[in-house]
Amino acid sequence: MYAWDFAALKPYWSLIWQGLGVTLFYTATTVLAGLLIGLIVGILRTAGPRWASMPLRAYIETFRCTPLLVQLIGVDMSAAMACFIALSLYAGAFYAEIFRGGIEAVDRGQWEAGRAIGMRRSKIFRRIVLPQAIQVMIPAFISQTILQLKNTSLVSVVAVGDLLYQGTVITAASYRPLEVYTTIAVVYFIVLFPLTLVADRLERRLGAHR
Amino acid sequence: MSAAEREPTLSVTDLHKSYGTLHVLKGVSLSVARGEVVTLIGASGSGKSTLLRCMNLLELPQAGALQTGRHRFAFGKGQPLPRDAELALLRRDVGMVFQHFNLFPHMTALQNVTEGPIQVRNMSKAESIELGRGLLAKVGLADKADTFPAKLSGGQKQRVAIARALAMKPDVMLFDEVTSALDPELVQEVLTVIRELAAEGMTMILVTHEMAFAADVSTRVGFMNDGILAELGSVEEVIRRPQNPRLIAFLNRFHGSRSG
Repeated sequence: MYAWDFAALKPYWSLIWQGLGVTLFYTATTVLAGLLIGLIVGILRTAGPRWASMPLRAYIETFRCTPLLVQLIGVDMSAAMACFIALSLYAGAFYAEIFRGGIEAVDRGQWEAGRAIGMRRSKIFRRIVLPQAIQVMIPAFISQTILQLKNTSLVSVVAVGDLLYQGTVITAASYRPLEVYTTIAVVYFIVLFPLTLVADRLERRLGAHR
Repeated sequence: MSAAEREPTLSVTDLHKSYGTLHVLKGVSLSVARGEVVTLIGASGSGKSTLLRCMNLLELPQAGALQTGRHRFAFGKGQPLPRDAELALLRRDVGMVFQHFNLFPHMTALQNVTEGPIQVRNMSKAESIELGRGLLAKVGLADKADTFPAKLSGGQKQRVAIARALAMKPDVMLFDEVTSALDPELVQEVLTVIRELAAEGMTMILVTHEMAFAADVSTRVGFMNDGILAELGSVEEVIRRPQNPRLIAFLNRFHGSRSG
């Protein structure tokens, strides 16, 4: 029977914190960048000029349908920058589809009602459609953000020192892979679980009028 | 002086509208004078709703002209399509109420009503709230100002929608089958509001299946048949003593199902 010994990890906690910091940093920056990309691409795909549709679709499907791992090593620049760009574009492709879905889920009658009181397209979008679309999008948006945090673990393969990378390093030093990876998993869980609770509350609050 | 001789508030001239090969409007002209209530009747698919939706250019006709107040639009070969901004200016002055209400679900009844004045007319918030509360009271919903649409009955929703359109202080109001989606017992409360507007002299164009109501409020009635305004005249001429065989056939189908 295996004898668990979590005490063996004690000297390495600072590495775990360091790794968590890198993971959170990549998550936060690439989620923000991805959101920006996704919002712009999503809007352009629903309301933009027709000629823009094909290239945007190509972008979205390229990043959605190829492995993130390949995307990460396919960019020839510093590891940190490559990770940031690839993760942002990857997230942007998924967020774009979430935005587009949310916008298209809003009833056509809402646009008409806005037009009928003399609102212009951009104002209808901002005041009427987007607030309703966001509410529809929240569950998918939170799932994608959770995935994004977990996806950052792939940066470890290009030697960026995220949580998982540090886990590998600690394993090599301590010969305690089960303890190390269990601990890493628990840290991920502790960070992500509250996020799902925030999502639930947000959804309820924004859906108060339903 | 007959209605048609007075200065028109809204007029359309020789409107043509097709969807692909389907010719929905085949040259319709109609001139509505200030204070008139014109109802459009006709079978579904006759083009009456499309005609109404061309009056605030929610549908753009392929040919013809629209004029109301200072707004003039011409359609046809060589005519540029109107820009979003021009359309928005027109629609400030032409109110519309829809069959399916289309209230903004994320806003309270009062916010629905004040949205236009604040966002489009640049009215101050305080002033718009006063206006909005007044209009909600007018449609009998003073106590529902802070209620979200999901908590309102169909009849209440439609009255909020009327208040929302009125808040823009339009010159003309368009009503597109506004009682068709309502439970029968909720129809009257909406028709009552429209009757009151008629009595106040609001210029209105209505598409409706409520024949008795149409007979009651209309200054003129138009019968749309197959993309053409086949008949246009007084209630007496069109509903009470119809001559056109198609109109007679259409009206006969409504016997026994009259309400209003």
